[in-house]
Amino acid sequence: MYAMTAFITASFTSPENIGTTPQSLLWLLPLVLAIAVVYKAMKLPTISIGDFIKEVVMLFGSIIIFIAIIAFALYAVARLITE
Amino acid sequence: MERHSRDANIVLLLIVGLSAWVIPGAGYFLLREKKRAAIIFITIILTFCAGLYIGSIGVVDPVGAKLWYTTQIMVSPVVAGLGYLSAGGHYPVYGRPGEIGQIYTSIAGLLNLLCVVNSVYLGYLRGTETAGS
Repeated sequence: MYAMTAFITASFTSPENIGTTPQSLLWLLPLVLAIAVVYKAMKLPTISIGDFIKEVVMLFGSIIIFIAIIAFALYAVARLITE
Repeated sequence: MERHSRDANIVLLLIVGLSAWVIPGAGYFLLREKKRAAIIFITIILTFCAGLYIGSIGVVDPVGAKLWYTTQIMVSPVVAGLGYLSAGGHYPVYGRPGEIGQIYTSIAGLLNLLCVVNSVYLGYLRGTETAGS
């Protein structure tokens, strides 16, 4: 029990090792999911599991697609300027 | 009579707002929206804990990152305790883990602010509906 408590405490007192790599952008996904879940939990008039999951997936997908479009546009602009 | 009812409604709204700040989702729970309350509680606490796990409690920094701290404390007043622990600079965090941890914890706080406002508004609507009927 003591070892488990120490392990949990240690997990929250030292940062994880995350490099400045393109893969680190994937940390965006859980955050977008959290935003979609909370937003839909607030806005839906009644919450039934099927509808809720469908709405969350739709919002999650549209946010990701929109971010991808913006990223692509910024990438294209950066290439035009630098070349 | 009407004034008495309005005063009672204001007290209810204050209780709903405060409890929604102290425990994420508690405002909806008081308004008998249990599913909504459970989803919001789990999601906001998980997001905040994920931020702490990634960047350590050093991401809650009331001295060096006041603006981030302002948004983080919206999760719950309990965050002030974490700020007190990390204020001495015992848990330094830099680079990508620090950024991601701050973003996660701050987004959790802002989401809870949205929930506080929404639950108070829902309580207000219910109060006016009850008074009207």
